[in-house]
Amino acid sequence: MNLNTSGLIIDLIQYFFIAFTFSAILSYLILAIISIFENRHYMKKNSFVNYKDILSSTISPSISIIAPAYNETLNIVENVRSLLSNHYVNYDVIIVNDGSKDDSLEKLIKAYDLVKIDYVINNQIPTKPLREGVFKSTNPAFEKLIVVDKENGGKADALNTGLNISPNKYVACIDVDCLLLEESLLKMIKPFLETTDSKVIAAGGVIRIANSCIIKDGKLLDVNLPTNMLVRGQILEYLRAFLLGRMAWSKLNGLLVISGAFGLFDKKIAIEVGGYDTKTVGEDMEIIVRMRRHMEEQKIKYKVAYIPDPLCWTEAPDNYKIFISQRNRWTRGTIETLKKHKKIGFNPKYKSLGIISYPYWLIYERLAPIIEVTGVLYFIFLIVNNAVKWDYAFAFLVLAYLFTVLFSIITIITEELTYHQYKKKGIGLQLITTAFLEPFINHPFILYANIKGNFDYYFNKDIKWGEMVRKGMNKASD
Amino acid sequence: MVNLFYYIVEYFKYSPKIIQLLWASSVVFTLIIIGLSIYLNHIRIRLRAKERIKAVYQKKYESDLIEYLYSGNGVDEISKEQQIIIDYLSNCAKSSLKRKIIISTLLKLKDEISGEIADAIQKLYCQTGLVNYASYKLKSKKWDVIAKGIKELAQFEIKDALNDVIEHIDHPKREVRKEIQMYLVKLFRFEGLEFLNILTNQLSEWDQIQLLEILQKFENQHIPDITKWLESSNNSVVSFSLKLAKIYNQYEAKDHIINLLNHSNQEIRIESINVLSHFGDIDSLIILKSDFNQRSIEEQVIIFKMMEDINEVSDIPFLLEHINNMNFDIKVSVTKILKKLKNSEANDSRFITTDIEYSEKTSLIKAS
Repeated sequence: MNLNTSGLIIDLIQYFFIAFTFSAILSYLILAIISIFENRHYMKKNSFVNYKDILSSTISPSISIIAPAYNETLNIVENVRSLLSNHYVNYDVIIVNDGSKDDSLEKLIKAYDLVKIDYVINNQIPTKPLREGVFKSTNPAFEKLIVVDKENGGKADALNTGLNISPNKYVACIDVDCLLLEESLLKMIKPFLETTDSKVIAAGGVIRIANSCIIKDGKLLDVNLPTNMLVRGQILEYLRAFLLGRMAWSKLNGLLVISGAFGLFDKKIAIEVGGYDTKTVGEDMEIIVRMRRHMEEQKIKYKVAYIPDPLCWTEAPDNYKIFISQRNRWTRGTIETLKKHKKIGFNPKYKSLGIISYPYWLIYERLAPIIEVTGVLYFIFLIVNNAVKWDYAFAFLVLAYLFTVLFSIITIITEELTYHQYKKKGIGLQLITTAFLEPFINHPFILYANIKGNFDYYFNKDIKWGEMVRKGMNKASD
Repeated sequence: MVNLFYYIVEYFKYSPKIIQLLWASSVVFTLIIIGLSIYLNHIRIRLRAKERIKAVYQKKYESDLIEYLYSGNGVDEISKEQQIIIDYLSNCAKSSLKRKIIISTLLKLKDEISGEIADAIQKLYCQTGLVNYASYKLKSKKWDVIAKGIKELAQFEIKDALNDVIEHIDHPKREVRKEIQMYLVKLFRFEGLEFLNILTNQLSEWDQIQLLEILQKFENQHIPDITKWLESSNNSVVSFSLKLAKIYNQYEAKDHIINLLNHSNQEIRIESINVLSHFGDIDSLIILKSDFNQRSIEEQVIIFKMMEDINEVSDIPFLLEHINNMNFDIKVSVTKILKKLKNSEANDSRFITTDIEYSEKTSLIKAS
């Protein structure tokens, strides 16, 4: 290879990285602009909705909350109490004890006066068999509670058991440790009932991080910003994703994922597509893609709705080990889903799903970390070969860093002008500081977890869900 | 320091265009970051101050309001103390923030009480001129302002604004039309439902629940004739009137509802079966059984649900025909009904064939 050829290759590689970076920046900006307008529209539209009247309505549709639990003995009783304290009238809570090895079931039996009952289950989706069976409370105060004890089959299998058991038209699939706010179910059901020109198949809500928040008797009393920088970084990351990302995708009807922590589904469609996929670790994304694909193939006009209000608060990893394990799983889930549904990618038959959502997800979610690491390796290669044009490199790095910080600050301002959850004095400055530090504190580990996720997906097939060690939100501390 | 500055200027001057562009962009980004950080600080201070002001004024207006309510001479007379409070609140209402606080304070109290005191609050709302601000909102070009105005007028039950409100009946924004519907029903109760006669847009499930919730708050109301709505060409109107028929037991509309069993929309057919089931109407069950096989599976499931409540021994042959139905819900319903009829044949294994899974389920039902 002569000097001209190698120079041309280096130029091409550099142009590729520049094109990728600028297209990513442009896409973030476009999504952010759409999100800001959409947030404003949502706030306007919902500012005069009186939720209280419908909250107590007995003619509102019934919803089943399905919460899988695995070795949750530490908080299971409090968490279930929190789920039972929702103000919505027509709902029941189905706790699926997914073969826990601890004493979760015993604790539930004792705390809620549970007795085993005979229950007819329509096994429309195949699941692992029941272990101890189905339990209900003898105490009328807990009549909404159903506990199912089954053999371990993973989160997706537990959710499928809940789908089989639920007698209701709508199901809310949530993480058992999530704190749902009073109006959360009502706000989630609204698009299903309100939309008349298409069928709403699922709705997702905003997940907020509850570390360091004060929670008592299932109620969020005080919102605090944690001192742990890893958690702070995740708060900023969640705000960016939920306020300036998913809102736009919702507007474009291109939402590919609803957080597994809290999503509401049309049960009939969820069962029609076969429920959650037990073979993937990204079951929350996969079921949405499959439901959307199903609707496109059936040629039925549909929508996946998104509610930007803070509806659900959950605990985020506060140490790097669990954080990396979580992101590793998210990466594998994304790879598995995109691979499984590769047919829809760049396929105009699937409209915006095939020509916008899928390619975006493939390029800027699936491939972005690989491209980024390749860029880093290429940069090292140039350093070794003394071929770095430092003035270019430095100017690019500074600009990219400043864009990241700027984007985060725009997110913080959007949060302040819309939901204003972090009211305490001093938090504004702390959030700005986090915006400056997050690229160093969180991003390298996210990148590492993504690469590890790719490696594990291709070379370490046995790895499944990582364990999430809960501290318990009631005792949340840094 | 000066040397460094000159060095930077020189470097910038003699750099390639792309480097110049990158650094210029960085400078712009830095300035924007500084500007936005200052703005963020400003809005946080403003929001906190607003909340403090809100809390202070809310407390003040609450005490003013209580003083107003308990310093009256009689129903129609305004005492001197009351007039002072009216003047004070009218003056405060000139500020939009204070106006919002006064309105929320009035509404808070109005929601908690009823009778004469509630009427007095409504009167105060007019006396302080707040009603004029709400009416003025109806002239706005912004749809959300109009909707808020209508909502407020409905909350304070201002019937005089009807003509101004009705002007927006064909407003292109769904939210405005929805607020008008709620205004009409809240203030004119069942008479307000007359808008259903001319409704061309779809009334969503959400809207229907909201309207029904408002109507259910009124007791001893005369229920209008719903049959014209049951014949509406607007499916959402039919659906809503079916809900009215069920909630208010409009048995006299039964024949019209039976006609809906052959409606082109499946949801309406299902809702009709539900209402007839609620009425416990045996005639409709005979009709449904006669053309059972021509109906969709969803309707068949509902028919069997209906039979769980309305059944007789003569139904047994029909039930036995469906004991091995492919649909799980139908199978469960059949078993339940057979059990209820105390038919010993239902427990006979010959009806349950070799379906082991189903056998297990049946035994579960028996045990339940």
